[in-house]
Amino acid sequence: MTDAQRIDLLDPAEVARLGGIEIVAQGVVEGFLAGIHRSPFRGFSVEFTEHRAYQPGDEPRYLDWKMLARSDRLFVKQFEEETNLRAMILLDASRSMAWRGAPARLTKRAYGDRLSAALALILLRQRDATGLITFDEAVRQVIPARVKAGQWARLVRGLLETPDGRGTAAQAALVHLTSLLVRRGLVVLVSDLLFDRELALTALRYLRHRGHQVVVVHLMDPAEAELAGPPEVRFRDPESTASVVVRPRELAHVYAQTVRREVAAWRSACRRHGIAYHHVLTDMPFGTALRLLA
Amino acid sequence: MTFLHPLALVGLAAAAIPALLHLLERRAPPEADFPPLRYLSEAERQSARRLKLRHLLLLILRTALIALVVLAAARPLVPSRGSGAGAAHQPTALVVILDNSPSSGVVVDGRPLLDRLKAVARASVAHAGSADRLWLMLADGVARAGSRDALLATIDSATVAPRRLDVTAAVAQAARLVDAEPLPAREVHVISDLQRTALSVGAGEASVPRGVRVLALAPPGQATPNRGVAAARVTDGAVAIAVAGTPGTGPAPVTVRLRDRDVGRALAAPGSGVTIPLPAVAPGWMVGEVTLDPDELRLDDRRAFAWRVAPPTEVRAEPGTGPFVAAALAVLEQGKRVGSGSEVVIGERTQAGPGRSVVLPPADPALVGQANRALAARGVHWRFGEPGTPGPIASSILGGIAGIAVARRYRIAPANGGGGRGTGNDTTTLATVNEEPWLVREGDVLLVGSRLDTAWTALPASPAFVPFLDALVNRLARGEALVVEAEGVPGVQFHVRGTDTVGATVYGPDPRESDLTPASADNVRRSLGAAVFEEARFAAERFAGTRRADASGLLLALALLVAAVELGVATLTH
Repeated sequence: MTDAQRIDLLDPAEVARLGGIEIVAQGVVEGFLAGIHRSPFRGFSVEFTEHRAYQPGDEPRYLDWKMLARSDRLFVKQFEEETNLRAMILLDASRSMAWRGAPARLTKRAYGDRLSAALALILLRQRDATGLITFDEAVRQVIPARVKAGQWARLVRGLLETPDGRGTAAQAALVHLTSLLVRRGLVVLVSDLLFDRELALTALRYLRHRGHQVVVVHLMDPAEAELAGPPEVRFRDPESTASVVVRPRELAHVYAQTVRREVAAWRSACRRHGIAYHHVLTDMPFGTALRLLA
Repeated sequence: MTFLHPLALVGLAAAAIPALLHLLERRAPPEADFPPLRYLSEAERQSARRLKLRHLLLLILRTALIALVVLAAARPLVPSRGSGAGAAHQPTALVVILDNSPSSGVVVDGRPLLDRLKAVARASVAHAGSADRLWLMLADGVARAGSRDALLATIDSATVAPRRLDVTAAVAQAARLVDAEPLPAREVHVISDLQRTALSVGAGEASVPRGVRVLALAPPGQATPNRGVAAARVTDGAVAIAVAGTPGTGPAPVTVRLRDRDVGRALAAPGSGVTIPLPAVAPGWMVGEVTLDPDELRLDDRRAFAWRVAPPTEVRAEPGTGPFVAAALAVLEQGKRVGSGSEVVIGERTQAGPGRSVVLPPADPALVGQANRALAARGVHWRFGEPGTPGPIASSILGGIAGIAVARRYRIAPANGGGGRGTGNDTTTLATVNEEPWLVREGDVLLVGSRLDTAWTALPASPAFVPFLDALVNRLARGEALVVEAEGVPGVQFHVRGTDTVGATVYGPDPRESDLTPASADNVRRSLGAAVFEEARFAAERFAGTRRADASGLLLALALLVAAVELGVATLTH
C-alpha cells in the first residue's frame, strides 16, 4: 500500500465520507499499522526493548539497578507490550466540540470520535484493555476498559450514543476516571481544552501522580487558530450567553498570537508535569495525528 | 475665505458618512458561533486601546478626506500675494480711469502713449471677475458702468479725446463711486500719463474714503519736449498768440494762415506770446489758423481763431462832453475807427429814440435828477446816486484803464436801491471804483460814473484814453461779436440768430495739455492718495489687497496625503 492509497493520510473530511466511524477507523488503522509495521504503544512486558530515563511515578521495580550501579543514573527498563496496558480514552463531548470553521471540515467532535475509535482499535488489536469516557458538563458515557471481543463495537456505540452536550467540566470527568482506573494505565484526553486550564491540570497531575501515562490531544479547528470572517461580526460562545462584537481583520494578528500563547502554555504546563501534549488541527490526516500519539 | 462654487459646500454633509457608516455597521452585525471566545476576549482586551485609537484616527482621517474633497470642489479662494493668471480675488468695485486726454496722443519711442495706457487699462478690466462691479472713466469724466466685455470694447475703441481730464477730481469722483458699493473691496486704477497739470492745483488731496485703494501707473521719468498753441485771439486788427508747452523746449516758428495763405510768421517758445497783425479785410466773419511745426504731440500744433470785421461806428458827442472826448473822437475818425453819425451818442442824457447812448454825469449836480428821469424814461434801471469816494479803476474787460485814478464820481446804483436786483438781465458792470460800479451797461445804454475830464479822472490824460473810447463806442456800446473758446476738436462753430451770425465758438484743446512735464511720484501720492507703481508692479498690485488664490489644488493634494495616511493606518495597524 503506497502513501497515496493510505486513507489515514488523506484529508479527514474526505475520509469521513467513506462511511461510519467503524469503517473509517478500521481503514485508518489498517493504513497506519501498515506504515509503521509495529505497535507504537509500549507498555511493561517480559520482553525487554530499551531503557529510558526514570520519571517520577515509574515503578521502582522496573529500575535497572545494574545501570544505576554503573552510571549512577536512574533508568527504567521498557518491554515489548503485550496485553497488560489499560487505556482510557476521555472524549470531550461539549457543545464547543460540535463546531467547525468551514462546511468542508469535520467538527471537532466528529474528528475526535474517529480519532478515538481508531486509537481504541489499535489498542485493542494489541490486546490492551481499552475503555471510554465521554463528558460535557458531566460524565455522559462510561465504558470500562476491557479487552474481550466486541469491546470496540461497544466503544463505537458509546461514541455514537453520546449526544453533543452543553458546557465542559473536564475536571469532573477526570476525577471520575481516577475511581475507575485502579491499575496504572494510559489516559488519553481528547478535547478542545476550552475550559479552565488550572483545574484540568490539577486533575491531570493527580492521574500522573497515580502512575498513569497521560496524553492530551488538543483538538482545534483551523478557523480557531486563524481568525477570519466578515468585516464586523458578533461571535457567540456556544456554551454560554457570552458574545463579543469584533472586526476579525483588525484582531486577527493579536488573536493568532493569543492562540499560540495558549497552546504554548498548555504544552509547557503538560511538559512540566510529565504529560504528553499534542496540538491537532481538524484538517490533519488521522494517520499523522496517530503518529503524534505514538 | 470665499468660494467660487459655494453650493458645493452642501456636500460637506457627506463628511458625516464615515461616522454614519460606523454607527450603521454597529447596529446589526451578523452573528456567528465561535467557541474559543475566551481567546477572542483576551485578544480584544489586549488590543482595545490600540483599536480605539485606530478607529478614532481612521474616522477623523476619512471625515477629513471627504471634507477636503468637498471643499476643493467648492473652489475656495484664500488671500494671496501672488499674481498668477489663475489668481482670483474678492468681489471688487473697480473704476478704471483711462486718461485719453490730448496729452495721451504724444508719440513716445515711435508709439502713441495712449496705446500703452490702453493695454494697461485693458489688463485691469480683463483681470476683473464676474462678481466685480466695473466702471470705466475716460477723459470726459463720465463713469461708464458695464460688463467686462463691454468695457473692454470701449477701451479698444478709445481714441485721443480733445478734453482735458482733471485727474484729482476724477479720482475723488471714482473713490466716492466705489465707496458706495457694498462689496468687500474697492479699487481705483489711475492709468494716465500723469502730467503735472492734470492734477488739480491748490485743490489739495483727492478725498479718498478709507478702504478705497487707489493705484496709479507711474508717470514717465522724463518730460517729452512739446510746443502747442495755447490761444489765438484777434484784437484790434492783430492776432495775439500764446504758446504753451513743456518748459525748456526751444522756440519754433508760429504761422498764421488766413484763407489758405500764410499771412504772418513769428518765433515763439513755450510760455511766451507773439502778436501778428492781420491784413485789412472786408467786414464780416473771418476764420484763421495758427500752426506750429509738427512735434511729438500733434493735437496742439494748430488752433483756429475767428473774429468779426465790423464797419466803423458812427459817433456823435454832445457839446457838454468836454474837449477830451471831442479830441479823442477826432483821432479815431482820422484813423477810420469811427465815423460821424448818431449810431452812438455820447452825452449827459440818453437818446430819446432807440439809438445807443454813452451817458456821462452832468457837470451841474442840479441836473442829475433830470438825467435820472431820462434814464427812467428809457427804461434803464440804473441811476446816478450820491458822490462816491475817489479811487482807482478796476476792470477785467478793459485792461488798459485799470489802476487809473478817479477823483470825482457819482455812485451808479439801481433805481430801487436793491443792490442790483431788478436791473434787468442784460446789465453788465464793466468797471468799478472802490468795488462800486463805475461803468455799467444795460441794453443799449452805458453809464459812466465820472465825466471824462481831468477834473474828475486822470483817464483823459492817459495813453489808454483813446483805446478806451475806441472800445467804448466800437465794442461796448455797439455790442461785441461774441467769440468764446471751448475745449473740443479744433475748429470754429458759428452761432446764428435768424439769418444773422451773432457769435462763434472756437474749439481747441486745453492749453495745459501742452505741458508734458510729468508729476513727481510724491505729488501723485499726495494729490491722489494713490500708490504709484511701475507697469510690471502695477500688474502685480492690482486686486492685490483682495486677491484670492484658488486653494482647490492644495486641498486635493492634502486629500491625497490624507488618503495615503488613511491607507497606511488601515494597513499597518491591521
